[in-house]
Amino acid sequence: MIEFSNVTKRYDNGTRALENVSMTIERGEFVFIVGSSGAGKSTLIKLMLREEKPTSGIIHVNGFNLNKIKRRQIPKFRRTLGVVFQDFRLIPNMTAFDNVAFALRVTNVSLRDIRRRVPYVLGLVGLASKARTVPEKLSGGEQQRVALARALVNNPDLIIADEPTGNIDPELSYEIVELLHEINKKGTTIVMVTHEHELVSQFNHRVITIENGTVVSDVPPREDEEDGGYRL
Amino acid sequence: MRTSSFGYLVKEGARSLWVNRLMSAAAIGVLVACMILVGSAALFALNVSNIVSYFEDENEIVAFVADDITTQEELDALSLQLHTIENTADIVFVSNEEALQQQIEEYGEYGWLLEEYQGEENMLPHAYRIKVKDISLLEDTAQQIEALSGIQEVRIPTDVAHTLLSIRRIVSMCGVVVVAILLVVSLIIIANTIKITVFNRHREISIMKYVGATDGFIKLPFVVEGLLLGLISALLAYLVVWAGYLYVMDWASTVNSQWLQELYRYFVPFEAVYRELLIGFCAMGVGIGSIGSMIFVGKYLKV
Ligand SMILES: Nc1ncnc2c1ncn2[C@@H]1O[C@H](COP(=O)(O)OP(=O)(O)OP(=O)(O)O)[C@@H](O)[C@H]1O
Ligand SMILES: [Mg+2]
Repeated sequence: MIEFSNVTKRYDNGTRALENVSMTIERGEFVFIVGSSGAGKSTLIKLMLREEKPTSGIIHVNGFNLNKIKRRQIPKFRRTLGVVFQDFRLIPNMTAFDNVAFALRVTNVSLRDIRRRVPYVLGLVGLASKARTVPEKLSGGEQQRVALARALVNNPDLIIADEPTGNIDPELSYEIVELLHEINKKGTTIVMVTHEHELVSQFNHRVITIENGTVVSDVPPREDEEDGGYRL
Repeated sequence: MRTSSFGYLVKEGARSLWVNRLMSAAAIGVLVACMILVGSAALFALNVSNIVSYFEDENEIVAFVADDITTQEELDALSLQLHTIENTADIVFVSNEEALQQQIEEYGEYGWLLEEYQGEENMLPHAYRIKVKDISLLEDTAQQIEALSGIQEVRIPTDVAHTLLSIRRIVSMCGVVVVAILLVVSLIIIANTIKITVFNRHREISIMKYVGATDGFIKLPFVVEGLLLGLISALLAYLVVWAGYLYVMDWASTVNSQWLQELYRYFVPFEAVYRELLIGFCAMGVGIGSIGSMIFVGKYLKV
């Protein structure tokens, strides 16, 4: 599903953000990516989304070779995955419904499908009753769930989340990750960046640690527990 | 493209105009000013050209027939030769009798002095009055006519032709310069508007990119916005030019000046050009607006 082979990323100003990173994430996995500030986590995400190009090395995501992908194919590639960011990135003057529908409208989906899909995913994240509310009247956790609904609405195989709980109270953070966990159980691959170790330890998932631009550890979920299970 | 998406694009373009209405108004103001100037320049050039072409019609080559040509057959052959010259339009034969008669009339009360030269005593040559199609080729045509063996002399109004030609050249040159400058100004205005809109909407644009909207889809609302800006400006400019033109025509018809009254007869009435003008304005507005935004949205968007 995601494959990095000897990937190095150097920004134009000379910063070495990633150094010779290799890793493979299989279909259906839930992976936490952790590491201290400036370690290169967001750079890794940007490379996965083809927002940045690697300086060297090869990247495959969802069957696309991101080194060779043509500009024209990028939208098609992005429709195969969903993205969630720390700052929610909702459109302020649109209701929750319209924010989710936006992702479908701009990708040429019919009105009938919009009316069918949007309420479904809002229900999935537990926000059916807030469909007509604008973001500023929603809590941080609710806003992030709208963003998650937007990421899910295209029915993607892969969800990529860069610190989705960074702006949310700890109790609500747990709910968000639990939601991701439920989505993962239905077969969607999840890659989630975070530096909240507390949160990571509450779930039994693979954890990749990055420091100074290199992978320093890659720990699979514990065998003794039910796959994808979590401890309290 | 689906109708729902098309509706979205038009709505987004129009919404953006309204959200940034202060800036939109400023842009429309400048565009209207540009288009008024371009429209005025076009109408001015049109009127000058109309007046010039009237004077051109008055211009003719006078070709005097050689003395040794006397029979009707010879004259017919000569007339045929003149008709085969490319640039000749109207050819009118003036016999020496007619020419003398004209001169007698011009002499007025002293005309009787010439009367004794009528008939056998007439020393005047026969002549042709020849109008040309293209006044800029006047001299070439005159040379061709003079080269004919049956023609002894040619008289051409060179000075007038040169003046008319240079008036026309100056007017069209100024027109091109004015239009070019204003076009650049208009494009800068569009570019600036699009730049600010891109900035205002960067959040939506980045979301569109992440959810996989195509470049074309991201750009289209901006093109719609530019197009609307251009179209609104065009319609406003058209109304202003219309009112202005009627006012000027009205003024010209009443003002107490001999030469203006003379020229007034050759002014082009608004009714004769309103359709072309409206189409021209709209084409200019839509063209500048959509092409301008198409060029610059790519530059600022970097999708
Ligand atoms: N666009 C950029 N241009 C230049 N340098 C950059 C750019 N983006 C990131 N960097 C640098 O690359 C390094 C890695 O940054 P990155 O954003 O990947 O870290 P991170 O692990 O996401 O950190 P954080 O936890 O604070 O979000 C940092 O030194 C950062 O300053
Ligand atoms: Mg980061």
